[in-house]
Amino acid sequence: MPLFEKTLYSTDFSPLAEVALDYVKKLKEAGEKEVVVIHVVDDLSIELPEGADLLNEKELYKILPEVDQEYVTSLIERLEAIKKILEDEGLIAKLYLKYGNIPKQIVEVAKQEKVKLIVMGAHGKGLLTEILLGSVSTDVIRNAECPVLIVKRREEE
Amino acid sequence: MLFEKVLYPFDMRKASLGVKPYVLKLKEAGCKEVHLLYVILPSEWGFVAKEEYDSEDKIEALRGAVDDGYVDGLIRIFRKMEEIAKELEEKGIKTRVVMIPGELDETIGYYSKEYGIKLVALGITDESLSFFRVGKVLDVIKAVDSPVLVVKSPEEDGCQEV
Repeated sequence: MPLFEKTLYSTDFSPLAEVALDYVKKLKEAGEKEVVVIHVVDDLSIELPEGADLLNEKELYKILPEVDQEYVTSLIERLEAIKKILEDEGLIAKLYLKYGNIPKQIVEVAKQEKVKLIVMGAHGKGLLTEILLGSVSTDVIRNAECPVLIVKRREEE
Repeated sequence: MLFEKVLYPFDMRKASLGVKPYVLKLKEAGCKEVHLLYVILPSEWGFVAKEEYDSEDKIEALRGAVDDGYVDGLIRIFRKMEEIAKELEEKGIKTRVVMIPGELDETIGYYSKEYGIKLVALGITDESLSFFRVGKVLDVIKAVDSPVLVVKSPEEDGCQEV
């Protein structure tokens, strides 16, 4: 049964997201073949249309201020680095760099790519947990059509 | 081992059963042991002593202290969990079936820590993610240190016991 055949890995490039990547790699043993990697940007200095594709829409890139262009370029490099890690593991990797509401974009790409599982990190405690679990993780769990693996690590560990 | 020991909270709803295929599949990624846990909520258990009920004998011993019909209900749930455990054992996964009285989040949090659980696999319904109920799911996620696999079922809450 292809329960984990195609997964979506949402990363904010934090240490916790790196922990989540270990789980993504491990799922290869349970039949995972392809990983859709997504990072959603919501902090550019100018407003872009919701869901703008910063990886493939070259015209968008050109209208960004220089500081944002440098930022987006660095994000693309980080995504490419993750792609290489996954490919070295024998997995097919596809990248997305989207602009907009983070949970909304994660869920939309998950639906579009028909993934079987979403893997993402969530911070472990404190006020930040309330905010993060109350917004990004909760919205993803609530709206995703597939199971969600929330990876946690306590701050003291 | 990231998926070595899995906690599978079970509540007799179909959403709980939705988790089973995922747990079975995780065997290929190193899952060796699954703990099936039924949390006896305070509104149900009344004066049941707070301990780990992991055999029918222990549940039977409750007769006299609580209503017979209630004990029968617990045994029915325990047997259903044992059925699932048997299926997992046949696939080479070690299991433990246990019932513990308490609040859902506190009990799952306690159990995960006490038994070194590596993953909690939680079956939920769309209804449990409604505005008024989503807090319960979040409380469970927040109560455990380990990753939580949330498997959602479209079932209407409260109407489809297995």
